[in-house]
Amino acid sequence: MLKITRRAGERIILGDDIVVTLLEISGQSARIGIDAPRSIPVYREEIWVEVKRENEAAAQAAAALPDIGEDTAAAVAPPSVTVTSEPQ
Amino acid sequence: MTTGQSDDPQSLVLESTRFGRVEIDPKTVIEFPDGLIGVGGSRYTLIATDQKSPFSWLHSLEDGGLALPVTNPEHFFPGYTLELSEAEAKRLGIDESSPIALYVTVRAAPVLSDFVANLRAPIVVHDGVGHQVINQAPGGELRASLFPAERIADSSAA
Repeated sequence: MLKITRRAGERIILGDDIVVTLLEISGQSARIGIDAPRSIPVYREEIWVEVKRENEAAAQAAAALPDIGEDTAAAVAPPSVTVTSEPQ
Repeated sequence: MTTGQSDDPQSLVLESTRFGRVEIDPKTVIEFPDGLIGVGGSRYTLIATDQKSPFSWLHSLEDGGLALPVTNPEHFFPGYTLELSEAEAKRLGIDESSPIALYVTVRAAPVLSDFVANLRAPIVVHDGVGHQVINQAPGGELRASLFPAERIADSSAA
């Protein structure tokens, strides 16, 4: 692993278009800013690990899923999406 | 590569370890530019083995053994809302009025009461492109029970 020491306000450049900024250090935590191309998803590690585990577990399912005896052909409400602006 | 051309030049053939040979309408192909989180894959399709079932399969077109049961969260969690940051919405190319389809992955289990859905990381499909996203809405459980005990009791009493 490459290890780099940074002070608050200093940056690390990954490739030509990803900039990681150490914004603020406070006690045991550091606030980090990431500027990356829009197409690159960024995750907190623990969430990524949890979702990976759920996906892998889901993919273990056998072909036969149970008949739950419900008529679910009825229309349901369309998906609801809200977009929130980020705190600056 | 498990897909190829069938006799009908308009359809793809998927060799599924679960369902055998399945013809796929190319119009139903969903491109996942970033794959599923931690699992990858770039091309999937939805396979419904039973039109009356709430479950369908998000099936890889690249790996005949990779398929996840999914469901429309409205079936089980009425009022389920996906909340995205502006940056994430831009990444997906959607806004609040975009026509999207929303799915959640399902962990199947030997008994219904152990079936859970991942409400925290739903799958958004828009214009033939899919993304698994992190839902910013509070209460998006990682393992939400699809058939809580009271629900099973209700349906057996009916």
